[in-house]
Amino acid sequence: MAFWEMVFYLVAMVAYALAGGGFIYSFVFKNPRVVSKLTLLVAFGFLAQTIAIVARFNATGHLPWSGHYEYTLMGGWFIIAGTLFVGWQNKQLQGLAVGTVPLVLIMLGYGYMQNPALTPMAASLKTVWLYIHVYFAWLSFGAYSLAMAAGVLFLLKQKSEAQEVPNPTYDRFPSLGRLDELIFRYVVFGFITDTIMISAGAIWAKDLWGSYWAWDPVETWSLISWLTYGITIHLRVTFGWREKKLAWLAIAALSTVIICFFGVNLVVNTSLHVFQVR
Amino acid sequence: MLNKLIKYLSSLRFTILLICLLAMIFAVGLWIPQQRLLKTIYLQWQKNAPGLVAFLDALGLTTIYTSPITITLWLLFFLNLSLVLWQRWPIIKSRITLSDAKIADPVTVGGYPFRSSYPLPGDLDSEKIIGLLRKNRYTILGDASGFYGVKNRMAPVAFMLFHLSFFLILLGGVVSVYTEFVGYLDLAQGESFQGELSRYNASPQPKMPEIGSPPSASFTVKSIVPRVVHNTPTGISVLLVDSQGQKHDVDINRPYSTEHTSFVFKHLGVSPLFVLKDASGKETGGAYIKLDVLQRKPDRFVLGPFSYTATFYPDYVLEGGKRATRSMEFNNPVFFIAVEQAGKKIAEGLVPKNGALEFAGYRLEMRDMPFWVRFYVVKQRGLSILYAGFAIATIGVIWRLLFYRREIVGAVREQDGARCLVVAGRSEYYKSLAEDEFTKLFKDISGNG
Repeated sequence: MAFWEMVFYLVAMVAYALAGGGFIYSFVFKNPRVVSKLTLLVAFGFLAQTIAIVARFNATGHLPWSGHYEYTLMGGWFIIAGTLFVGWQNKQLQGLAVGTVPLVLIMLGYGYMQNPALTPMAASLKTVWLYIHVYFAWLSFGAYSLAMAAGVLFLLKQKSEAQEVPNPTYDRFPSLGRLDELIFRYVVFGFITDTIMISAGAIWAKDLWGSYWAWDPVETWSLISWLTYGITIHLRVTFGWREKKLAWLAIAALSTVIICFFGVNLVVNTSLHVFQVR
Repeated sequence: MLNKLIKYLSSLRFTILLICLLAMIFAVGLWIPQQRLLKTIYLQWQKNAPGLVAFLDALGLTTIYTSPITITLWLLFFLNLSLVLWQRWPIIKSRITLSDAKIADPVTVGGYPFRSSYPLPGDLDSEKIIGLLRKNRYTILGDASGFYGVKNRMAPVAFMLFHLSFFLILLGGVVSVYTEFVGYLDLAQGESFQGELSRYNASPQPKMPEIGSPPSASFTVKSIVPRVVHNTPTGISVLLVDSQGQKHDVDINRPYSTEHTSFVFKHLGVSPLFVLKDASGKETGGAYIKLDVLQRKPDRFVLGPFSYTATFYPDYVLEGGKRATRSMEFNNPVFFIAVEQAGKKIAEGLVPKNGALEFAGYRLEMRDMPFWVRFYVVKQRGLSILYAGFAIATIGVIWRLLFYRREIVGAVREQDGARCLVVAGRSEYYKSLAEDEFTKLFKDISGNG
């Protein structure tokens, strides 16, 4: 890790930790006024994370594309970027951070424990397909994370509205109907980028490994993840799964993506996707 | 009974069941070592637990991706998909057909959840409203007295396109599997290859194609230059010259591709030129020997009456009295060689490039140290079909999910003495978000924005 990278990485983690705690406080203690201030704190953390990425780029000469640490650094950046973007477009959606900020905080903590050593770009990663494949992978991960966050928000808001005195914090957020549609919209965006990611990966794999599909653990799990979200879309469109069912589906389906990115390499060491770059 | 069966086979419920079963099978394949993918681990496992492995073999769980149950599930999946597409096509046709019958009264029409009415300014021409809707990419039937509009009318066709792409991927996949040749080929700098099957590595055995012939490429390896920064391989440049004299530069991510065949760089080794001289200085043997020593493991070879165990240090250094390498860069390549005769070690020592090891009246010289590469040679057809499938799937999914249909019916009417635009609208997938969109659209059009 470069010195300034480490400093700003830790600053980002602290900012996200404070913001995450603040969001939980505002929900539990029914204090909606702090939400916009917390969003500013998230934006500050995002800025620090961006500087950490720039510092790493400065030290290695390439963007953080590979390895568990770099995946958490860059993947987390995309998730927070998505959260801030939708919150900026529509203030009612600032509450999505209640789901995404803790997720990114856990990711960054996990990444810090992995291999943050500064390494030159491995030969296998020097191709334009890397940018297409990884960029769309992060976009889909970001979108699926937002779908999960919208799902969490939906369930919390629905629970609150069922109570005699609803929590006023939820008044700031979109109606249940809109949250339900947002979950679907994020899933759709994630599914499209996921499709591009898998197609690009297969074409790249042909040049790198000689085979467009090798049933590699990460490949296989990404297919399982794609199928899971494909089923989610079908259940919504054809079977009319909405609201609570869809929210739970969006939350549960994210586990397939997390397993794909971080879980597979923990239990299987035969993957050609060497996230643990040595 | 048959109708019931066809109805179930063509249902989405069945699709979801099949996808869940396939996903479960894929997940099982991650945990059970597969014969073809993890041969070494599989063989070790078979040695340790022969009974369990035999049982799983019998169930086809160690060849799960090609097992009869998986192939049956795939066949059922494509049967289901065919039936769904067959049934959906007339519905899609009717949805994309433009007909005056779709013009309806916006107040009484059913199935349009968005309904509203907007007062129109006196100077706004009714026909201009139709023009503005067209400008917003609505296809309009009728006129201001009653109209039907649809945006992204052809979106349902993308449903067909996306699902038909699966058949292209299937076709490309099947063609590639049946025409596939796979083999490993070790070639050192200066070696030529004329397509001889005997030159492929015996282990793993080359996989011959069911249809078609093995590769017929011929070329010479002119040079091999690896690039390493500290311990990270950052590239390799393998220069090939084919039988027409054309040069091809192979690198990681850049295989040599010719006639449906790819020569993919897989592995690097060193092939030093060792020369053995006897006490009189006469050369008794010499050869470029391909050694697989770059993974920091020793390799063995035989030259003359001796056998040797060679350990390689690309950037040799003595650290605390122990042999080590500073990095994986080839800055100071040195072999540590143990010499054996009749199974007994008789000498050991360091041999740098252009250096020598003397033992038992003999002298082992290393005169040169070029490299060798292992190519993963794969010949398969059908890739263009497969890639076309990927492209169509991507286009289909973007088209279907982003450019979804919005339909409106409307009319310009007198309401409470004022001229109003009365409309009803509906959208695929979304209700609340579509309401925002319709509200903005009609407010803009009616000048109420």
